[in-house]
Amino acid sequence: MKTLGHLYMALAALVLALPIVVVCGAALNGGRSMFFPPRDPTLARFGEFFVSEPVWTTALTNSVIVAIGAATLAVLMAWPVAYMLWSTGSKLSKLLAGLGSLPFAVPPIVFGVGLGFFWGFLGGLGDLWAGVVSHAILLMALPLVTISIGLQSIDRSHLDAAATMGATEAIAFRTVVLPQTVPYTISGFFFVLVLSFNEFIVMFFVSASSYATVTLQIFNSLRNGYTPTMAVAAITFIAVSVLVFSAVARWGDLPRLMGADQSRN
Amino acid sequence: MTVAESLSEVAEETTASHRASFRWQTVLPWALAAVIIVLCLVPFFLVIAISFGRKIEGAAWVWDFTFENYQRFFVGTLWPDEVTFLYLQQLGYSFWYAVIASLLAVMTALPFTLLLTRLSRKAQAAWLVFILSSLSLSEVFIVMGWDILLSNNSGLPALFKSTGLTQWLKDMGWFQVLRDWGLANPRNVKFKTSEFATILTMSYLVWPYAVILLYPALSRMDPSLSEAARTMGASTSQVIRTVILPSVRLPLVGTSLLLFVFLLGTYVAVTVFADPAKHTTAVAIYTNIRGANLNAPFGATQAVILLVSASICLTLGHMLNRWAEAR
Repeated sequence: MKTLGHLYMALAALVLALPIVVVCGAALNGGRSMFFPPRDPTLARFGEFFVSEPVWTTALTNSVIVAIGAATLAVLMAWPVAYMLWSTGSKLSKLLAGLGSLPFAVPPIVFGVGLGFFWGFLGGLGDLWAGVVSHAILLMALPLVTISIGLQSIDRSHLDAAATMGATEAIAFRTVVLPQTVPYTISGFFFVLVLSFNEFIVMFFVSASSYATVTLQIFNSLRNGYTPTMAVAAITFIAVSVLVFSAVARWGDLPRLMGADQSRN
Repeated sequence: MTVAESLSEVAEETTASHRASFRWQTVLPWALAAVIIVLCLVPFFLVIAISFGRKIEGAAWVWDFTFENYQRFFVGTLWPDEVTFLYLQQLGYSFWYAVIASLLAVMTALPFTLLLTRLSRKAQAAWLVFILSSLSLSEVFIVMGWDILLSNNSGLPALFKSTGLTQWLKDMGWFQVLRDWGLANPRNVKFKTSEFATILTMSYLVWPYAVILLYPALSRMDPSLSEAARTMGASTSQVIRTVILPSVRLPLVGTSLLLFVFLLGTYVAVTVFADPAKHTTAVAIYTNIRGANLNAPFGATQAVILLVSASICLTLGHMLNRWAEAR
């Protein structure tokens, strides 16, 4: 029974890895077409993606700007909401938390269409900053959840202790609340970063074809057939995800963030 | 200055500083509230408002309050003289793909997640890194990977041919079955375009989500329950049926619903893997708003209908759960 279970997990991992492996292998092709296994393997495509092809370097820069901007903005908006929800539990904070999670809970294409109209009226359609704000709103739900989990892990008796020893609310916030929630805030930041990096459909509607992120650029090139350079992009993105989540697992408590039971190991 | 005076001064100062901090604490939440309300709600209101708008031939569209777009969606423009269900059929395909793919994902992810929660904390973290990485991987990359795997000149069909599996299928007489299912041409197996490829890719797309969503509930399940059942002589299948399944029924239904709603909006996988005659509402929304048709109001109408169907499904699922709870 135990071997059967291991076998099942291995099979799942295999299927999960299969398309990723194929894409990675295809990046090594020497020619212009995708073959698997790769023919005439070379690493020249990596140079094209990161250095010499302006189409890809611009797209990569845009992706990085949007991801970092959106992650920062999302954390800045989620923090006060999560803090209000934890400290007061007021109706307003509950409403805001609900609204903040709404865009993430509906089919993304509907929110993308709505944002397309929204920026069309406000004049941000096709501007990079509108893309940043759009992703921040779409993905705000993630830091909202991680920061809330972090706040819940604070022992309220620590706060009482701080208050008894004469700490004002601001001091208690700085010395008790903030240090304990930093790992969770950073995790939230990285979740947004990675998902924004890979998000496609909302960006598709708000960019209005005036700029392209890497995922958009790949979709645009989809009709003309694949090139190995696109596979390099895929490898880069997977590498970033693995690095980020490994960092979260290393310095944060990934099982707990994902909702595992604390008391068991 | 008397002591009383200085005391009252201090008191005034403290109330003043209190008032200042009080103001700061009221202004910030409300400012934030305004920003969040505008950014999260206005886009949806715009979609709803524009869905009642009217397209002008050869130009853009104007605000209006007409139900023409909704009529067109349900019965066609020429109703009542002529009725077409083209758009309803697209919605039907949206549902069909999403239902099958989400059920497939949840059913295969359940045993996996159960096994995952039995591992050590460290092993769980390693698996979670792998699963989260594949979860965050963009739809375009996933479609690209499966496209290479399933296309006729490379990947699986080529593998089938070179290993002689195609010939073996022909000899065994199963090839005809595959042809009947649209998964083969006269010479070899083919997966593009097919419902099989569409659903497979969509299911793959949400599989990591299924694991992540089931993980909290399953990891909180008390293992001593199954152990107790087993000491009392229950077989594995009995344990699964009588202990595990009932205790995870709620998250199971919840996860399936969330994945289903998420999949209703799938775009890239459907455009690449589905036959154009079997495209979904999401694809139609795109063609109307950004693509060839340039009919924003009708695209908005389809988006509203997609949103409403998603909400109806979520509410129904919720009610079903409540009803099951009450019994």
